[in-house]
Amino acid sequence: MPHTNLHATLHTKPHTTLLSATHVKKTYRLGRVDVPVLTDASLEIGQGEWVAILGSSGSGKSTLLHLLGGLDRADKDSGPIHFGGEDLRSFSAGRENRYRNRDVGFVFQFYHLLPELTVLENAMLPALVGLSRMKWLSGRSELRQRATDLLESCGLSHRLKHRPAELSGGERQRVAIARALINGPKILLADEPTGNLDIRTGGGILDLLAATHAQGMTLVMVTHDEAVAARAQRRVRITDGRVE
Amino acid sequence: MYAPLLANRYLTSRIIPFIAVAAVALCVALVIVVVSVMTGFLDMVRSSGKTLIGDVVVTRDISGIPYYLDFIAEIEALPEAEAASAIVETYGLLQMPYGNGDANRVETVQVWGIDPVSLDRVASFYDKLYWVKPSEELAKTLAPDDPRLDPEYQRDEEGRTLRTSDGRPGIALGIEISAFNERSRDGSYRCEGPSNMQDPGYFMPNTRGAVLTLVPVSESASLAGEKKRRFAIVNEFQSGVYQIDAQRVLAPLADVQEMLLLNAAPLTSRTELDANGRPKVIGESPARATTIVVKASDGVSALALKIAVDAAYARFAARIDADDTKLVKAPEMITVATWEERLADLIGPVEKERELMRTLFSIVYLVCAGLVLAIFWAIVQEKTRDIGILRAIGASRTGVLWIFLRYGLLIGVAGSLVGVLLAWCVVTRINDIHDFLGAPAAMWLKVTASGAAIAAIAMALRGLLRNSALETVLWTFASIALVLISVVLFLHHGFMVWDPSVYYFSRIPNSLDWVTASTTVIGGVIFSVVGASIPAARAADTDPVKSLRYE
Repeated sequence: MPHTNLHATLHTKPHTTLLSATHVKKTYRLGRVDVPVLTDASLEIGQGEWVAILGSSGSGKSTLLHLLGGLDRADKDSGPIHFGGEDLRSFSAGRENRYRNRDVGFVFQFYHLLPELTVLENAMLPALVGLSRMKWLSGRSELRQRATDLLESCGLSHRLKHRPAELSGGERQRVAIARALINGPKILLADEPTGNLDIRTGGGILDLLAATHAQGMTLVMVTHDEAVAARAQRRVRITDGRVE
Repeated sequence: MYAPLLANRYLTSRIIPFIAVAAVALCVALVIVVVSVMTGFLDMVRSSGKTLIGDVVVTRDISGIPYYLDFIAEIEALPEAEAASAIVETYGLLQMPYGNGDANRVETVQVWGIDPVSLDRVASFYDKLYWVKPSEELAKTLAPDDPRLDPEYQRDEEGRTLRTSDGRPGIALGIEISAFNERSRDGSYRCEGPSNMQDPGYFMPNTRGAVLTLVPVSESASLAGEKKRRFAIVNEFQSGVYQIDAQRVLAPLADVQEMLLLNAAPLTSRTELDANGRPKVIGESPARATTIVVKASDGVSALALKIAVDAAYARFAARIDADDTKLVKAPEMITVATWEERLADLIGPVEKERELMRTLFSIVYLVCAGLVLAIFWAIVQEKTRDIGILRAIGASRTGVLWIFLRYGLLIGVAGSLVGVLLAWCVVTRINDIHDFLGAPAAMWLKVTASGAAIAAIAMALRGLLRNSALETVLWTFASIALVLISVVLFLHHGFMVWDPSVYYFSRIPNSLDWVTASTTVIGGVIFSVVGASIPAARAADTDPVKSLRYE
């Protein structure tokens, strides 16, 4: 793990609620069968907190993360999910897109980088999504610099022009983290961020997440691994569709 | 801002879009080449069909137009008209100077009695004469053995006057009438004898002439006795239209008028007799012409000229009718037609054929859209995860839709432009390509094709030995294709696709129809976008959670 500007001192101010789920329900339909995944999930995440959501495979932890991140919608009879006091159910399509683009950053188990783009372009992608052509023309060098700095702080300064296929798993996940941070989100949602990595590489990724958290980033991390969850400040467990 | 980046990157970093671009390019090129050649063919038919008839044609039946010189003077006084020429049109029999004595071959011909000087002013008659000294420019393009380069074959003066050097009347035959004029691949003619040797004896102007038989027809459609006259063949002409060149004979106007009894003659009374007991001469019956061809002044349309000629005829007829000294009155029924109206039966079918081809080949647009749709469907299927990622980082449905529409647009534009370039290369060099296909293959080509076929067979066997199904199948197909090509190259002596005896024109039209090219490009782009729109909409509807599910 290179020394980066993400390694700052731990942040210890009192937590105010940033994101909360109250009695959230989510049912998937598989053929003709309704499969309830979340039956009554409630969770509060404070500003600057690092929360690990633990659970076995199929317990609904990723579903909860998707709902928190506005990727999916809860059932109609579900309770609300609030972000900074706003109910996600009241979001228009545009506001929902902006929420995913600016307010939250996603990190996935399988990195999900776009193979046709370089490392730098992948990292810049969320910023490009939120930019008009005019803003891109006026601010492209600044954005490029921001993405370069971010990738440098993730230890990827020598990989800027490489394609994802040329990177190791750990490097890809670092690019995914840089991408999640490019728009300065208020919360980072990580779905099994080390699930596809060996222990040593996964440790490096957790160090990077810790450094991000140390800078004040709110972090929600889904994992099935107790050791990984131990890095978080707080752990919650999902069992039978409920958060315990 | 991400849409152009992704669309461009998708286009340039993968093979599938290039297949789509190639498919669109081939479709576009196909339409442009076919319609360009058809349009060029139509233009050639139109310009050749116009040959010898000017812009407006005035016709009357075999009774002819009396006082036609007065009418021509009236026409030539019009600002819309540049020149006019009188013609007598009829059908006749022409006994050719070959065959077996009295049983010499007889052709049914369309006879035009013309005044060469005025017809040249109206319809560049001199340019149509075949056996004349070629211009320096033309001479450079002729084969060294072209007879026209030989002064012996140059009969300029005789052709221009329709008279032999000793003053005998002559006729000019359409170049396809003589059975011994052989058309070469380059469109030139050689006079070939029965033994297939060049023999000046079969060069028509060298023969002792031909006998023309015409039958005068009275106004009441009764036949007078046939008139025969021997004419020297002073030249041959080429109009460019097979029907004309295979049937028409040009003869001096006065001779044809005499043979058809349309020349000036005394007009006799049906009731009174003179002192000798013969019908009393009461005046003169004027010479007549059945047709008057008129050339428009610069910048005047054929239609404007037609209207002016119509009005001129009304004035002419009124003047004749009012003149008591003119015993023959102007006919009420004449036909004034533009050259296009006159040639409607010739141009119409070709025009219809072109539109039919355009319509049929426009189905290619649907093929284009279908190809793009199929390819994009596969791309969207493959890119489902990317779409999920984009949606996860905040891309809107419209944004995702636009990526794929823009992608389709890029493929449409790139494919259409490549198609135009390809079509331009093919159309402008179509005669070279045709000549290449028409000539027996060069030895180096046969050897190369055979070598490539052997190499392909070896590669197919290699694939078999390496247990690679893909390699084996691909090289087997390549082997079959190359073996077939090699066999064809060895056995065939060239393909004559554009047979001048069928299409008449010796060269395939080789100018690109830019209007068609432009509309085809627009069509190619639109249909590419249409083809991309359905997969694009499907992409926009992709559920990010489902697409990112990694199990």
